[in-house]
Amino acid sequence: MTQTKLPGDRDMWIMVLGDMTVFAGYFVVYMLYRSWNHQEFLVAQQHLNITIGVVNTVVLVTSSWLVARSVQATRAGDIEQALALVLSGGVGGVLFMVLKGYEWASKITAGHTNSDMFYSFYYVITGVHLVHVLIGLIVLGVVVRELRNPARRRAQMVEIGATYWHMVDLLWVIIFALFYVMR
Amino acid sequence: MTTTNNRDVQWMTWFFPAWYAVFGVIICLLTRVTPPPRPDVTAVDKVAFFAQHHTTIQIGFVLLLILLGGAALTNGLVCYQIKRMSVGSVFAYGYIGGMSVGALPGFLLVTVCFLTAAYRPDRNPELISLLYDLGMLSYNGSLGCFTAAYLVLAIAILYDRNEVFPKWFAYVSIWQIITEVIATQMFVFPSGPFAWNGSIAFWLAVVVFSIWLGALIMLLRAAAAKEAAQ
Amino acid sequence: MTSESRRTTWVWAALVVLTVGTGWLAPAAHTAHITVASLPITVLVLVLAVIKSRLIIRYFMEVRTAPRWLQLTTDAWLAALFGAIMVIYLV
Repeated sequence: MTQTKLPGDRDMWIMVLGDMTVFAGYFVVYMLYRSWNHQEFLVAQQHLNITIGVVNTVVLVTSSWLVARSVQATRAGDIEQALALVLSGGVGGVLFMVLKGYEWASKITAGHTNSDMFYSFYYVITGVHLVHVLIGLIVLGVVVRELRNPARRRAQMVEIGATYWHMVDLLWVIIFALFYVMR
Repeated sequence: MTTTNNRDVQWMTWFFPAWYAVFGVIICLLTRVTPPPRPDVTAVDKVAFFAQHHTTIQIGFVLLLILLGGAALTNGLVCYQIKRMSVGSVFAYGYIGGMSVGALPGFLLVTVCFLTAAYRPDRNPELISLLYDLGMLSYNGSLGCFTAAYLVLAIAILYDRNEVFPKWFAYVSIWQIITEVIATQMFVFPSGPFAWNGSIAFWLAVVVFSIWLGALIMLLRAAAAKEAAQ
Repeated sequence: MTSESRRTTWVWAALVVLTVGTGWLAPAAHTAHITVASLPITVLVLVLAVIKSRLIIRYFMEVRTAPRWLQLTTDAWLAALFGAIMVIYLV
């Protein structure tokens, strides 16, 4: 029987699992309102920019991949590589935020605001997600500090940060499916 | 091994849930602001609400006015534990500051509005309707004020080397911040999931708050016990 | 590249392909008219979402080599969430 290992630490998993549960609650409420206003939601949904949605998803998934590779590099002792990967992952996060900001701006100026029920869900849920991305950038910042300090460089700290970052990616993948694509 | 005499702190860890319990009775059973009455009703309905709960609203909020000072003690207890952390005292004072600022729009405004509405039941219904909205919006929507308190608490816990509180509680405090941010939507929607009685803006937030408060009560007891054994 | 990092990269490639593929199924990308509800496309989209989610959880989050309780919990979360979504959509 192979050894199992808990990545990161228990506290971060409490955070991640709890956060996933709260978001699941939001998703279920969204789905309920969607089923009660199906036609209205379909009409509103078609104004979403699918291309930006796909690009943003690829950006975040790639950033997640870079952070995952960074964990592996830390374990292998290649700190320079690990740093480069985490920083690149962080750039992905910033890019995501910029694209999301542009997307919001273009939707709002086109008149799709909170007054439309679909968009009220869209802005709140992607907004909460965006706050998570922002927190994630702070978390990655802490990981960078950890890696830069020769006295630390604990693999577990990098794992903890990575676990949080992957959760941000995971939630977005679901948001993409529920808001941009499904009909 | 010497033991610390922190009898007073231990006594406070019982006062803390007791005070919150009394507050629970006040807001749920007496004044009826939690769960909140609906935003999407007419002025006539709102007048009826105040008529129906007239007596308990007056009793409840008068009690609240007298007991609100107890917040100084409950916040003080948390402040005491934050001061025991290895981070600077500034975090403890930040917590007290944030919670104190929040109490004004969070409790006092709804208290004054509702007591005023109940004071002259035969007032113009539109004015009573205004007091209802103002009270409820302030009570539920002002939660953002507490954001600062939760943030300093979370940061203090994460940087604390003395392990006063477990790290997961910092994350639960961050959830609180998120729900408060969502609560701001209450000012925009009179109905639906983001209204002040909505499934997302209110009910999910209540679940998260209950988890936060329950955990805090337990952790305050545990921290006091750990200190007594040191 | 170690086998582990190679595996991670394959997962990334799969995720990108699935994402672009899912986007292709999206409403506005296809029809010029008003979006029409589509049961088979939605079910496909949800299935792809589950696959992507599980890939991220098992490989990026390393739950594949994690203790049993975590594997069961994350699978239960996926089942409960997507189960609820499917039921709400279909009913």
